[in-house]
Amino acid sequence: MRLYRIAVTIDAMNPPARPGEAPMGSKKESLVQIVGEENVLDDAGTLEAWSKDESFAPHRRPWFVVRPKDAGQVQALVAWANVTATPLVPVSSGGPHFLGDTVPSVPEAVIVDLSGLNAIRKIDTRNRIAVIEPGVTYTQLDAALAEKGLRIARPLAPRANKSVVASLLERTPTVIPRLNYNLPEPLRTCGVVWGTGEVAFTGEAGYGPKSLEDQWKRGASQVDPKGPNATDLMRIVTGAQGSMGIVIWASVRLDVAPTVHEYTFVPGRTLDELTGFWQKLTRTRLGDEVAVLNAAQLAQLVGRDAAAIEVLKAGLPPFVVVIGLGGAALFPEERVVVARKDLDTIVTGCGLTRVASLPGISPADVAAVFEGCSAEPHWKVRYRGASQQVFFLSKIEKVSGLVATVQAAAEANGIPAGEVGVYVQPQHQGVVQHVELTLPYDPGHARQAARMKAAVEKASRDAMAGGAYFSRPYGEWADMVYAHDADAKLVLRTVKGIVDPKNVMNPGKLCF
Amino acid sequence: MESSRDISRDAYRAIEDIVGADNITDDPAILDSYAFQWLAELVRPERSHYMPRPWAVVMPLTTEEVVAVTKVCNKYHVKVKPISTGWYHWAAPLKDDEPTVQFDLRRMNRILEIDEKNMYAVVESGVICAQLQAEVMKRGLNINIIGAGCSTSIVASASAYFGGGPSSYFLGSNSDNLLGQEWVTPAGEIVRTGSLSSGCGWFCGEGPGPSARAITRGTLGTRGGLGVFTKCAVKLGPWEGPPVLQPTGKPPAYRLPIPDNFRVYTVGTPSFEALAEIYYEIYDNAIGYIFHRQFNLAGADLAAALWLTYLDPNGTMNDVEARSKDPEVQKISEEARVSFQIILQGRSKEDIELQDRILDEIIRRTGCYKVERFCEADFAEFTNMYLQRMGHKHCNFVWVGGYMGSWMQAGTPDFVKGYVKTAIDGFERDQKSGLLVQCGGDAMMGCGSTLGGGGFFALEQFVSYDPNDNASVDACIKHMEDAITDCKANGIPLGKEYLYLQIGWTDERIWDDLSKMPQQFVLNFQRKIKEAFDPNGLGDRNYPWLPEGWGQQKTIAAGSAAVAGVGKP
Repeated sequence: MRLYRIAVTIDAMNPPARPGEAPMGSKKESLVQIVGEENVLDDAGTLEAWSKDESFAPHRRPWFVVRPKDAGQVQALVAWANVTATPLVPVSSGGPHFLGDTVPSVPEAVIVDLSGLNAIRKIDTRNRIAVIEPGVTYTQLDAALAEKGLRIARPLAPRANKSVVASLLERTPTVIPRLNYNLPEPLRTCGVVWGTGEVAFTGEAGYGPKSLEDQWKRGASQVDPKGPNATDLMRIVTGAQGSMGIVIWASVRLDVAPTVHEYTFVPGRTLDELTGFWQKLTRTRLGDEVAVLNAAQLAQLVGRDAAAIEVLKAGLPPFVVVIGLGGAALFPEERVVVARKDLDTIVTGCGLTRVASLPGISPADVAAVFEGCSAEPHWKVRYRGASQQVFFLSKIEKVSGLVATVQAAAEANGIPAGEVGVYVQPQHQGVVQHVELTLPYDPGHARQAARMKAAVEKASRDAMAGGAYFSRPYGEWADMVYAHDADAKLVLRTVKGIVDPKNVMNPGKLCF
Repeated sequence: MESSRDISRDAYRAIEDIVGADNITDDPAILDSYAFQWLAELVRPERSHYMPRPWAVVMPLTTEEVVAVTKVCNKYHVKVKPISTGWYHWAAPLKDDEPTVQFDLRRMNRILEIDEKNMYAVVESGVICAQLQAEVMKRGLNINIIGAGCSTSIVASASAYFGGGPSSYFLGSNSDNLLGQEWVTPAGEIVRTGSLSSGCGWFCGEGPGPSARAITRGTLGTRGGLGVFTKCAVKLGPWEGPPVLQPTGKPPAYRLPIPDNFRVYTVGTPSFEALAEIYYEIYDNAIGYIFHRQFNLAGADLAAALWLTYLDPNGTMNDVEARSKDPEVQKISEEARVSFQIILQGRSKEDIELQDRILDEIIRRTGCYKVERFCEADFAEFTNMYLQRMGHKHCNFVWVGGYMGSWMQAGTPDFVKGYVKTAIDGFERDQKSGLLVQCGGDAMMGCGSTLGGGGFFALEQFVSYDPNDNASVDACIKHMEDAITDCKANGIPLGKEYLYLQIGWTDERIWDDLSKMPQQFVLNFQRKIKEAFDPNGLGDRNYPWLPEGWGQQKTIAAGSAAVAGVGKP
């Protein structure tokens, strides 16, 4: 019934006010009609909070923050935005945000806070698929899956309020390379309110009726991400920073949770010393979690405060490959024993040594990083109060050189190389390396912040010149990337013109 | 569109200037060799084996030549249709009255790069799976070979078609495996996707930002309907076997010795319900390198007799019928009636032994069993050869020279289990005409997963018919129509037979059907993509679209009303 009322309201607004001329009052009234008064926020404190994040994105206040409660309200918001030429910025996760994608790039924006769409619609244990709404967090999903002996491939220490759907839509790397059959995994299908206001499902779900319940009645399980037809609609909303539409639900692949799980470590003095090893490891698909971290990164992930981080860092090897050995389903203990033995063969063959523990770090600490959510405050802000990340994809032989490039840019701007965290995450079963450097700094120190901004800019440009692939171009990276990528710009602008012709979805991001 | 006789010879000469006189032809005899396509008789007038004859066949050597020829085609309004290795009638031009340049991409057959460290290979569109597999195996790597076999183009299955095969379960489907690619649009522009377009090499298929591959690489790909994919990179996976496959045995039943770290089994199940149960167990336990249901393509009633004859050095096709009546063979037939093949690959002795134990425990729990005769060394080695290389595609046509693969709706094991009975009953019913090969109602085969990691598969019903007997062809068509009716009656999505038949339909009939689909967003999207990248309409409806106003929603307000099913229950 609510949907009907909204449609009538939109009709009643015709002809609409000219873009940008709708008075604030009428905009608010329309929004109140759609989501209810309690879910339209425009107090100064709220708008100020949403005007910035932890990145260097220019601050810009939205005009409103709205909190829809169901898919119908989301669709009505997009329809209204088309009529009123109002920019919408969809946000699913709680703060702090780090990438600038949730900060409006243009005036008059409305933040669409999707955290209220937080239902786990279904957990299909037999087919290992969950259907979740965008507000579902890792904390929430972890708990529900644990009851069923399942897990989801997850990123490294996400914050507790991180939206699973947002994380996957943004192709945040996951920590188990062998499960990463393609980069969007474990994301499968989505329900999308496109920028036109139309609803269409992606993948296998795009062939069936436009109702999950009806699809379930027919035995469909939203498993296949491809399609529908000759198009892969899911890959239009991934990496899009909310610029194509709003995802109202997504299906995600689950895995059987290990009942035996241990972590082991292969330390090295340099990345180069370890490169051949982790390449062999991922090539043979041995191990569950596989990640490469330097001492600073591992200490920042585990340490509770700056002092603890310093102590930890001093005791850790310069670099370490962390390997999780999991035993799931039948014969779990035997699986771990065999994996450990095979691992030792590779370790020995590479002239390295495996250790069962690292100084100052407990098994629970490591498990928390790879299987849980970050403690508060989030690890990215725990050391110096803030940090910036420079991340990109690379071929394996370029990793160490690109890391050195970013470290050099940091040092050139007064940031000690010893504080720069290095995290390398093999993806796509070892074909792609996600390289992420964390540069901590004191945000209250204006000079440090200025130097950090310069460091990030130089590091990014130098890394790009060195062959780093910025596949997720946030903020200023977008201009750098698309200036050199006419093909991608052509295709993406064509697609954007089809699915969001009025550019109401997060305008100003990517190449739009 | 002009008729072919009206097209200026200037177009021919212009293309000849690009590729050379040796690489273009309009010799009717040669053109007809391209028009002669499997399945054509199911859709063409008078049960002809010929699809529409192309206006000319052009064999480019480079991407630049493809671009240049495509631009000439734009100038002279000649359609373009690429074929790399072909499979199905839709690789040919689709209409008689549309002059079409058929790009034959066989000269673009270079493996451009094998990056062992980063586990990918870059190939041109004429490179076939067997060619690439032989090279990467030397480096301890392997590729996913699609169900259509090792003589198919890697680019075609990765960039432009479905891409599933027996090894997709472990090695990923070729959609999963697609990295950077190079596409010549029907407008004659080169579009590169993934890391390639950013100048960073071939190693990544996604981004920057949303992935450009999205507009062409869906469930089926463009099937030649939207320009030419000239190169792509594909992900490689681990191969723990010998660097060179060294088959033994007498042709055609080549056998591939099984290394100590491999196991090759045919597992029988008491029913399709049990098949689903063991599937889920295998999926949850994450074992298996190749997972496939192969041998039933010959029909469950005759499969054992056929394959045992095939392996018999003195056997001939004439022996199959008699052998099928042998009580011992009939016993094997029953054991193998609902069966599948699984090949395990171990990193080490301990690893393969553990996988063996896990499989044995799964078999015990689910009440399944190993089909003893099919697990004996000769048959297991034959299975190993068949499924590792996928070089036995002649067997698809073994009975009478023609077959049509129907059904193949992909889904979860429970979903597939749900339609098998309908498929079997319908085939048994239609075999009673005596005009289709009577091999039993279950001639259903398919790969264990069309997605990397498993959980989603399909079974394709092999309907064998005599393509040179019009009555048999008619019976096959009737069976296809019956299958569609059976699907509709039982609430089952339509299968491959529907796609095959559509090739013979008018545009309007197709659009009418498309307009009844529950979600038309993508068909309107594809129309707009086509308008953008194919402004002169050089592609064909293998990249389908819905004309504007043909059953689509027109206003946002109307769209709002249409969302009713989307909200929470």
